[in-house]
Formats: sequence, C-alpha cells, structure tokens
Amino acid sequence: MRTSEIGSLPVVTLAGDDVAQVKDVVFSADGGAVAGFTLAGRGLLSGPLKKGLTWTKVVGLGPDAVMIADDSALEPVDTVIAAAASSSAGAGSGGNVLGDRVLTDTGSDLGKVSDVVIEYDNADGGPCDVVGYEIEASDALKASSSKGNKHTRLLLPLPDTLAVSSEHVMVPSSAEGFVSDDLAGFGAAVQAFRTQLKGGS
Amino acid sequence: MLYSDLKGRKLVDTTSADTVGKVDGFLLDPATRSIAALEFKKTDHGSVVVWSDLTAVGADAVTIGGASVVVDPDDRLADLATKDGTVLKKRVLSDAGEDLGTVHDIDLDPESGALLELIVGEKKHRTSVAGARLLGVGSYAVVVAAE
Repeated sequence: MRTSEIGSLPVVTLAGDDVAQVKDVVFSADGGAVAGFTLAGRGLLSGPLKKGLTWTKVVGLGPDAVMIADDSALEPVDTVIAAAASSSAGAGSGGNVLGDRVLTDTGSDLGKVSDVVIEYDNADGGPCDVVGYEIEASDALKASSSKGNKHTRLLLPLPDTLAVSSEHVMVPSSAEGFVSDDLAGFGAAVQAFRTQLKGGS
Repeated sequence: MLYSDLKGRKLVDTTSADTVGKVDGFLLDPATRSIAALEFKKTDHGSVVVWSDLTAVGADAVTIGGASVVVDPDDRLADLATKDGTVLKKRVLSDAGEDLGTVHDIDLDPESGALLELIVGEKKHRTSVAGARLLGVGSYAVVVAAE
C-alpha cells in the first residue's frame, strides 16, 4: 500500500462512528515504520484536531478506512509525535522524506522519493513497516535499468534501517538491482533484497 | 425471513382481531445482534413494539396480544431509531478497513429476532455477511469482522 492512499481516509470506530480523518502519516525517527497519524476533523471545513493516533492503537488499516476500537484510542498529537521521535536510536530526522534524493552508499543518485510503500498485517498487530519508496527515477537509473525505459516511477526496496535526512535517503548500492515497477510483485522483491543484505553482512 | 418481505405486513391484535398498524421499520441492537423492536405506522397510539411483546411474526401478519404493547420508543429504542442506528442503505466496513458495499436487506429469524445475515451490495454483486460478524452500527458505517 502507498502512504499517499492513506491521506484523508476516515478514522472509524468499531461502533461505526467516524471520529476523524487522517491528515498526515507520522514516520518513526529512522523512517523504517509508520508510527501513527495526525488527524483532522471530518468534513470540508473542519480543521486539524489536537488528537493523533499511534499505530499500535489501529485495529485495521484498509483501502477505505482506518479502524480503531473506540474514541479512547486517540491521544494528544504531541504524544504521538514524541513517541515517533523516540521509537528508534537512529539519528535521522525522519519526518518528511517526500522529495528527498535517493543516494546509494557508492554515491549514485537513483532519483527523487515520490511516495512511500508500507506493508503490515492487520491480524498480528505488528508494526507498519516501510518497505520501499516510489521514486522518480534519475537518468542514470533509467539508463541502467531495463524497466526504466517504460516507466519513470519505480519502486525501490529498502533495508530494515537506513539513514534519512531532509535532503537524502541513503540506500545500499545493491538496492538498484531490486528496483521494480509493479506493486503486486514488490513484496517478493523486498524479501529477496533483505535476505541478500543479511546474507552479505 | 428477509426484512423486505416483512415490511408493510399488517399488525393484528389477537384480542380484538383488528388491524392496528403496518410494519414500517426495525430497530437493530448491535450489542445483541438481534432486532430490539419493530416500528409500525398507521397505529392509533405509539409506534414501536418490543420484540418480546410480539405474539408471532407470521407469513401474512404480525400479531400482538393487545394494543397496549404498541408504545412510544423509550430512550434506548429512540437511540436505535435515529439515523445513526439505521442499517439499511448504510455502508459496510470490515474491521480491516475495507468497504464491502451498502446494506440492501437483512435476514432475520422470525422466532427469536436474531440477525442472521446482512445482504450487502448492489444487484450484480450481492454478498451476504453472517449476522454474527456484526460489530457495531454508527453514524458512518456498519462495522463487521473481517473474514
């Protein structure tokens, strides 16, 4: 699922009431997981809410709604953001990666981040893992990737942890080999990439 | 029994043999997953009959043992009777956040009033959701457990 699809989804309790809608996705400090959401009121004219939602309180995330048990799942938005900042030892700034340039550790520019791909399992209550970025491929990547000839937007698998700043996202150079243009087959590409990283280190 | 078949059925008082109303709606209690009361129109007084006060829900008529059981909704029933409590034509969400369609009809047990099934979707893609999966009914959606 792409995080751009989460924006403006209604937040609905299991009792069937829509209590808010998603305003923004909050990433954990290392950019490796979704920590929670900031919220806005329902309806066109309602502004942002002072409450937020941490990922652990989400019962289910789907294409049409974010489900929560009840009102008590909402917490002050500062708590959500503070929890996100402290959720890892990483020194990265996290936050907004959209527009960042993706650089490999060997120094080549793969392109610009245009969306974030996440993976989660509603059943196991586990984390909402950031598994990849959708990137606008740089000319260099287009030239080296056969898939780049047709598409300028490609999916790049990410390692479990990575360094993120407001300018750059650093990825291992081997990620280039796992670039994909198909979200359906992307999960397998991420698996293969992460397995290879573990095997290599 | 489908609610669409029940709607419009006459309400007959078995003590006087008079028709005292017509089925006009149902109040579903999501906590018990059953019909709490039926709503009637064209009654002389009151508008609802609590399910346990019904003598029978038959193929041609709904019967009661006296006109006195037709009452005005109490606070609990009035809550169910608001727009938030209605089920028909409301969107159905699974607890995994997936929109399953809108409620077209319900299937209920004429003996106990238990909700057997929600009939969801439009004509061409109609699916049935077991009543036991119902989690809640609110202002935005009917929420059911994901399969």
